[in-house]
Amino acid sequence: MVTMNDFKGTVKADWCPGCGNYAQLTAIPMALAQLGIKPEQTVIVSGIGCSSNMPEYVRAYGFHGIHGRSLPVASAIKWANPELTVIAYGGDGDGYNEGTQHFYHSSRRNPDITYIVSDNQIFGLTTGQASPTSMLGMKTKTTPDGNIEPPINPLSMALSAGATFVAREFSGDVKHMVETIKRAISHKGFSIVDVFSPCVTYNKDNTFDFFRKRVYHLEDEKHDTSDLMAAFKKAAEWGDRIPIGILYESNDPTYESRDEVLHTPLIKKPIKQLKEQDLEEFL
Amino acid sequence: MDQNEVIIRVGGAAGDGVQSAGLIIGKVFSRNGLHVQTYNYYQSIIRGGQSWYQIRASHNRIRSQGDGLDILIALNKDALERHTNPNINEGGASPLDGIAVYDTALGDFKKYDNVKYCGLPLGEIAQKYSKNTLLKNTVAIGAVFGYLSIDFETLAGVIRDQFVGKGDIAEMNVKAAKEGYETFISKYGKSNKTLKPENKRFYLISGGETAGMGAVRAGLKAYFGYPMTPASSIIHYLASHSKSFDVFVKITEDEISAINMAIGANYAGIRAMTGSSGGGFALMTEAVGMSAEMEVPLVIYEAQRAGPSTGLPTKTEQGDLFQVMGASQGDFPKAIFSPRNVEEVYYMAGEALNLAEKYQMPVFLMVDLYLAEHYETVEKFDLTPNAVRPKFATGDEKNYKRYEFTETGISLRALPGTPNLMHNEDSDEHDEKGDVVSDAVTDPEIRRKIMEKRMRKMETYMKELPPTPTYLLKDAEYVVIQWGSTQGAVEEAIDILRAKGIKVGAIEVNRPYPVNPDIKELVKGKKKIVFVENNYTGQLRRLISSEIGITGELVTKYDGESFYPGALAAQIEERIRK
Repeated sequence: MVTMNDFKGTVKADWCPGCGNYAQLTAIPMALAQLGIKPEQTVIVSGIGCSSNMPEYVRAYGFHGIHGRSLPVASAIKWANPELTVIAYGGDGDGYNEGTQHFYHSSRRNPDITYIVSDNQIFGLTTGQASPTSMLGMKTKTTPDGNIEPPINPLSMALSAGATFVAREFSGDVKHMVETIKRAISHKGFSIVDVFSPCVTYNKDNTFDFFRKRVYHLEDEKHDTSDLMAAFKKAAEWGDRIPIGILYESNDPTYESRDEVLHTPLIKKPIKQLKEQDLEEFL
Repeated sequence: MDQNEVIIRVGGAAGDGVQSAGLIIGKVFSRNGLHVQTYNYYQSIIRGGQSWYQIRASHNRIRSQGDGLDILIALNKDALERHTNPNINEGGASPLDGIAVYDTALGDFKKYDNVKYCGLPLGEIAQKYSKNTLLKNTVAIGAVFGYLSIDFETLAGVIRDQFVGKGDIAEMNVKAAKEGYETFISKYGKSNKTLKPENKRFYLISGGETAGMGAVRAGLKAYFGYPMTPASSIIHYLASHSKSFDVFVKITEDEISAINMAIGANYAGIRAMTGSSGGGFALMTEAVGMSAEMEVPLVIYEAQRAGPSTGLPTKTEQGDLFQVMGASQGDFPKAIFSPRNVEEVYYMAGEALNLAEKYQMPVFLMVDLYLAEHYETVEKFDLTPNAVRPKFATGDEKNYKRYEFTETGISLRALPGTPNLMHNEDSDEHDEKGDVVSDAVTDPEIRRKIMEKRMRKMETYMKELPPTPTYLLKDAEYVVIQWGSTQGAVEEAIDILRAKGIKVGAIEVNRPYPVNPDIKELVKGKKKIVFVENNYTGQLRRLISSEIGITGELVTKYDGESFYPGALAAQIEERIRK
């Protein structure tokens, strides 16, 4: 039996007290344990940012790479060894700024990995600059007169690219988040879970209170997760009410299933023995 | 002109089928057991523009595109006038001193004395067999082999292989070629060249292809890349053989993704490569350092073209040595290979994969457009598997530390999936266990030790660095130092100089970094050192001079073409006499 304790690392997380990331540090191991996935079979891949320090704190295989590049690394790990459960984790700056192209293309490519984004709508590690999801008008160190660039909507972006599992969660609702992460990990294909994860130090607008007042569970309103247009509508819902839960899920084939070479794991393939006939075309 | 060899040029507009005509000609010679060198001088335009393909074939071993031009196949008027002009000097290229084969339907054109004009109704003949205008190329090819009196059946065989599975097209081409062959002989006679078949056969292959094949032999399981000339030939080769080689080939959204995927795949325990040309490689730069910091093996195929910036996308140069040397922040272990010819690319691709995995560091396989895309004959390839895979942790290790401080600097890897040995691999500085020591908990002593551990790998590698290859160096009074693809032109230039009684030899740098200190010994007692480089500033000279204090005269070429031996010999002589 796998327990949450099996995922307990030796390094103590040093996020600010009250940081939203602590909820994911609980929810991810809990989801993995409940699914019976062992730490040795788990790889957590991240980029750079406060949230990207996650692999340091979880007892699993960790890959803490460079800013914005968790998805290509995670995809290739999965392609090389499909027996591994591969989770990419990082922030909105990491994933929706420098990593935008990887996010968009992973959404259309559909590798069987899970992407969890700790979306705090600010740059935290670099001490408080506007991020790609910062709200219009938000005052930060780089936008002293208020942010004039409208925020990216990562969910409608993923939907438009053809993502096969699109969800949103909130760090203030761990129980709900665990269920969604379990579904995301179990989903065959690329799953994106954008988590409202308040930065208690640099974002005074999108706080725990801000979201607590607004979020509601999609399943309570009989949202049809197979309806792409309904998912677009829910993705755009932002105001007094903000939905969390699974917006969209489809069974489109994974990248791995579409590429014949990946039908046997790359790591199990023997070295190709070249033969004279491999050279014939050059005669 | 040597009666044992011939140089043929096919000139036309891009889209005229210049390259496929050139390859057919090359294969006819290689199947006849002759040594062949070909080079495609093309434009980065799919249709239009002028391009030409040169084929040099010989009974003797040849190592470059050579000097001189015996036969021109002109597919349009511009090509006919351009390549027959005695004042032509495209980077040292020789004008035609021989015959020009062209379609008599081209009309009036400017004529020169040095040329024997052999017009044939190419289009008219072709139309008897097909409406496809490219068929007139086949007629012209037939004409050339008639002129050279090379047995028609070899040409017929090459044509049939070229159009295999395309129904009547093959026989249509064979017939058109045959008519060209016979018409030429009856109208203009035969040449006095003595090119006879040898009882041998050669492979005619490019560096991009041998890079892919050599990597597969050494256990390559995945290649990640983004289209960019001239780094595409390896991708095309691997992609078209993906199933038979059982290799995963992925064209990514950008080069940044490609290199990060290659690192991820290596981290998971397979051998994966990425590659690009200078511009795409610039995008990969940040991840090069990640491979070094996290000690994840990585081989990068870097195919140079003429820069800076977009530069000359379809022209060759050796201008990226400093870019590769300086790629990524900080100091870290790495190795750079610069194979000297198509055959050596094959072996060095495997060596690079072995080295990268042994030392858990980035290794660069640097070629250039000339090496990646020109075809040359290779007699034999060693096909025995050569992958030397290191041991990996099994899970039974006690007190496992991913980055254990060892004497060699090399630590045991535990791949993800290994029981009990979960750990974090980090682009942040870390300790032996992989725990981060950056930011708040920076520990200067551990930082020093882990830097020294990583850099110790270079000391270990230096001990097994193979000797630098040389050419006719022993009795040489003067020495040329070259790197990479200029080998062939340099050696042939040296042969020219030696025939004049000037004793020149060469030091051939195929592993530019780390700089091999044996170069210091090799230049001892030589009267003059001349560096030969396909770039502007003499990047290898700068590197060798800064690393081991050896410098010398410099011959450069930065017009987008590779060296011609005759012109190069004159330049070397001039530097020697200076």
